[in-house]
Amino acid sequence: MKVLVVNLTRFGDLLQTGPTIEGLKEQHPGCHVTVVVEHNFAEVVRGLPGVDRIHELDLDALGRLLLADDLRAAYHTVDDAVSALRAERFDLALNYSSSRMSAVLLRLIGVPDTRGWTMTTDGFRLISHPWSRLFSASCLVRRQAPFNLVDYYKRVAGVTRGPRRLRYEVPAAARIRIAERLAAAGVQTDTPLVGLQLGASKAVRRWPAASFVGVARALQVRLGARVVLCGGNGDRAVAEEITAAVGDLAIDLCGRTSIGELGALLERTDVLVTGDTGPMHMAVAVGTPVVSLFFGPALPFDTGPYGEDHVCLHADVACAPCDHNVTCLQPFCRETLSPEAVADAVVARRAGDWAAIDAAAARWSGFGWYRTGFDAEGLFEARRLGPPSAQTGETLRQVYRSLWKAELEGTTPAVSWPPQPAAAAAAHAVRAVAADACAQAGRVEQLARDATDVEALEAAAQTLEALDTELLRLGAIHEPAALLTQVLRFDKENIVGDDVHGLAVATRALHETLLGRADRLVQLLDGRGAGPEEDRCR
Amino acid sequence: MDVRPTNAGARATLEANLRALRARDPTLAARVEAASSLPETPVATSSGQPTLTADGVLLHNAHDPRREAARWGEAQRERLAMADDPVAVVLGFGLGYHVEALGAVWDGPLVVVEPDLGLLRTALETRELCAVLARVTLVPGPIDAATVDGWGAAVLLPHAPSLLREGDVLRGLRERIAGRTVLRDLRLRVLVVSPLAGGSYPITGYCARALAELGHDVTVLDLAPFAGGMDAIGTFTPRAGARCVIETAFGRFLGAGIIAAVEAVKPDLVLAMAQAPLDPAVLDEIGRRGVLRAFWFVEDHRLFPYWREVIGGYDHFFGIQQGAFLTEARRLGNGRAAYLPLAADPVVHRPLALTAAERAEYAAPVSFVGAGYRNRRLAFRALLDSGLRIWGTEWGGAGPVEAALQRKGARISTADSVRIFNATEVNLNLHSSTWVDGVDPVGDFVNPRTFELAAAGAFQLVDARALLPPLFTAGTELATFTDAAELRPLLRHWLAHPEERVVLAAAARTRCLAQHTYRHRMETLLEMVCAADAERLAARPRGATVGDAARAEGGTPLGGFLATLPPQTPFTLDGVVQRLLHHEGDLTDPEAVMLFLHQFDELYVKEARQ
Repeated sequence: MKVLVVNLTRFGDLLQTGPTIEGLKEQHPGCHVTVVVEHNFAEVVRGLPGVDRIHELDLDALGRLLLADDLRAAYHTVDDAVSALRAERFDLALNYSSSRMSAVLLRLIGVPDTRGWTMTTDGFRLISHPWSRLFSASCLVRRQAPFNLVDYYKRVAGVTRGPRRLRYEVPAAARIRIAERLAAAGVQTDTPLVGLQLGASKAVRRWPAASFVGVARALQVRLGARVVLCGGNGDRAVAEEITAAVGDLAIDLCGRTSIGELGALLERTDVLVTGDTGPMHMAVAVGTPVVSLFFGPALPFDTGPYGEDHVCLHADVACAPCDHNVTCLQPFCRETLSPEAVADAVVARRAGDWAAIDAAAARWSGFGWYRTGFDAEGLFEARRLGPPSAQTGETLRQVYRSLWKAELEGTTPAVSWPPQPAAAAAAHAVRAVAADACAQAGRVEQLARDATDVEALEAAAQTLEALDTELLRLGAIHEPAALLTQVLRFDKENIVGDDVHGLAVATRALHETLLGRADRLVQLLDGRGAGPEEDRCR
Repeated sequence: MDVRPTNAGARATLEANLRALRARDPTLAARVEAASSLPETPVATSSGQPTLTADGVLLHNAHDPRREAARWGEAQRERLAMADDPVAVVLGFGLGYHVEALGAVWDGPLVVVEPDLGLLRTALETRELCAVLARVTLVPGPIDAATVDGWGAAVLLPHAPSLLREGDVLRGLRERIAGRTVLRDLRLRVLVVSPLAGGSYPITGYCARALAELGHDVTVLDLAPFAGGMDAIGTFTPRAGARCVIETAFGRFLGAGIIAAVEAVKPDLVLAMAQAPLDPAVLDEIGRRGVLRAFWFVEDHRLFPYWREVIGGYDHFFGIQQGAFLTEARRLGNGRAAYLPLAADPVVHRPLALTAAERAEYAAPVSFVGAGYRNRRLAFRALLDSGLRIWGTEWGGAGPVEAALQRKGARISTADSVRIFNATEVNLNLHSSTWVDGVDPVGDFVNPRTFELAAAGAFQLVDARALLPPLFTAGTELATFTDAAELRPLLRHWLAHPEERVVLAAAARTRCLAQHTYRHRMETLLEMVCAADAERLAARPRGATVGDAARAEGGTPLGGFLATLPPQTPFTLDGVVQRLLHHEGDLTDPEAVMLFLHQFDELYVKEARQ
């Protein structure tokens, strides 16, 4: 089997494709995996176990052609790349870039079994695979994000095996260079070394410089540790602020490492303190425990460190996580976490002392403390430590996790939460409309099968459309119903074709599925497990 | 002394010359043969060669025309030597001495522009010119853009006496050729500013479409959404003085918006349509940003005198009237004022295959579409028994004529107007007047309806206008009347002769499409702007068009795809993808690659470009 994996530009996302690739190799011995990646990120892929071939797209060069208005050359660059990929005759394409650009690329490559974002032949977006649609929907309804990105990747590829961690093979030469640089900075092989990853893709996700200074000082006192500052060129100003405050205690390697060297550096550190960043995933991939800080829109449940026994600290505030499109004028969630709390987490995690971490979680209760691991089905989870959250979102996320595991994996939900009457009311409302829609879809299918009364068919389809609109409206109003209806939207988009009866059959099946999901959601929110199946369509 | 050959001799000379001309251009030869000679008579010079004084201008030296011409030819050869692969374009033929002289010292392509066929006939009767006629390309005008483009690097060589004699015509041609030569290499960025409402509003869209078709980068500043605001000012106060204050403030608000749009679009040229709210202060601000300003005043200067207040703020002013108005406009506009008649948009104004239901709704023996001006109310009374249907607004209180009014005087959309034009046997077209009872005896400009009816392939009976004859030929392309009293007998005639109507309507459409579309007008307008402001505009190079790229690609899949797009489409991602938005059916690979590039550009490149 020849597999194409498309994940163009994101450092962390690329590392997170690793378990899928290894899982594919395990489940399909002899399968051949090609990864399409932007040229600047190829070094990441070179460290991923199991990749047989890397196809680099030089998007910088493509951008230069467009800036120079050389559209013909740009066209031929893309056309040549597409032709080369087509010639490979892949059996399976996995698109892990959720963008229209990648959707068009996948449509051009034209692999028969394409999963993730692609396009219909006439140019409309398709999200092909239920796990992929769930992921796309959960990106829009962040608070209910039930699964980790790696698990989405794996399930989209049909992978159930593979390692329960990320992996990156550090180049030997990089390891030597980093050892030399650390030695030159006075770091002995037995010097405790803690990495501080300063940057994040957005300012709102970054911890303030003064807080990093506080952590550095506390770790020096408690462990005799040095800190090494990691980050990109954009973080140099913050790094200089920290080194000005703590002097030789900090080794500033911000913007001074290649990807391989970053892997080697993080491999050498005892613990990495980081936001939700690519280096966080790199630390996981080289086997270094992380204490990961989640501010703003970042959430440990969907993009947290994929592996056992990492510590995640998440702002336990009502507005977290904020929407990706929000510009927060007062990111107070970053201020609620004290350097001492983080130092507690680092010291305890370095020692592998989970009792101490539990105690710290109880002591520093303004934040949610989580320990990463895996559930019975092998899906990543971030388990809450210390007192339960005051926010209702956690229960809703668990409910949805149970729902989707039951719907997509066939597991039997185990209810471990009290009834949620307010959320259940919203789910009941959705269920009632879903039942009407299901019945109406049945009528549409009947009329389409008879194919005698076009006007009646059109009228029935319009009624069904109005019911679907009402479902989306309910989802927009009631947060507990949002993920369900958002998935419905993407599921509907995915019904394509010219055969009216075929479309009607698929539409009816979709509404039956929705009704089943709404039933199950009602039961879970009512605090009940799965009830007996019944003929629900009225 | 008359040196023209005797009648028989002149005829023989003419015949020989015409044979030479016919060999190169039989159409022109026929036109010259059909023309009348000038009334003036050539006279002998002391060298024995003839010369001619026409309209008081001596066309060639009175002593030795050949010697004078040889000096002129040598000077032009030196000018031509400084250009790369030039085409010599001589303006004015005279009796041909200077053309002969240049042909003797210049081996390259030689074009002579001479619009006066009478002069050409006189020259061909007077001198033996077979050799020169075989050597040169003689162009009588009008000159289309493709002809000028075909000349490549044209070097204009005016024959000064001809320019003196044929002033406006030859100067206009010179401007046209010079402008076209500059424009060919430019892709202009044009901001077209609409009025808030009114008759010139739809023309804004027609102009914008035409400019885009010509390959320019066009942005329309559509101010129609603000019309409601202007209309609502009365809500604040019934007092006229107070309303005036608010209207002025509203005008300043719109002006600030227009300036913001200019800054955002960074155009080479702002083209404002009549009634667009640009006052002198706003025009001044635009000018200070180095942007050229043009105004197309598509209104009757007698009814709308505001043009006097704004003309000084424009670099280029175009009107639909000539005569004293144009003279005054040139005086107030520093000479940059020109005549630019209205036109039609063939995309909108076109023959339609009407459905039975549409026919039932719109068909009539006689129709009129337009507002109820006084002269129309009076003139149409006598036609109420002809099956007349009237469509349009402002007919309230028109008395008996209201019986013919359709849709209770509601506004008629452009689309419905075109349906009415198509469904009517005789379309009436009476230019509005507020001071005469029927046909305005001094009416000059030609209204848009004239062109729109012609482009729609509809037959029209239109009142005679002073400026109509050069645009359309009465009797072969449309029918005219000079007095309202003529309408009844004319209607009887034309309603009884459908086959004649069809012939005229078809001829009018052919003429309109060939000469009177907004594309033609915008081409002329830009040529004039370019001729005058070549240096300012030349700084912006014209990007490649889809046609250029298609030629370069040849038979590749990309070439095949590009060949399906209008060739003047800018070969940019936006230009190409815009064409894909209305695409139906499966995407081809080249289309998908273009979509990919467009998405990539949106994500990663656009910001860097800005």
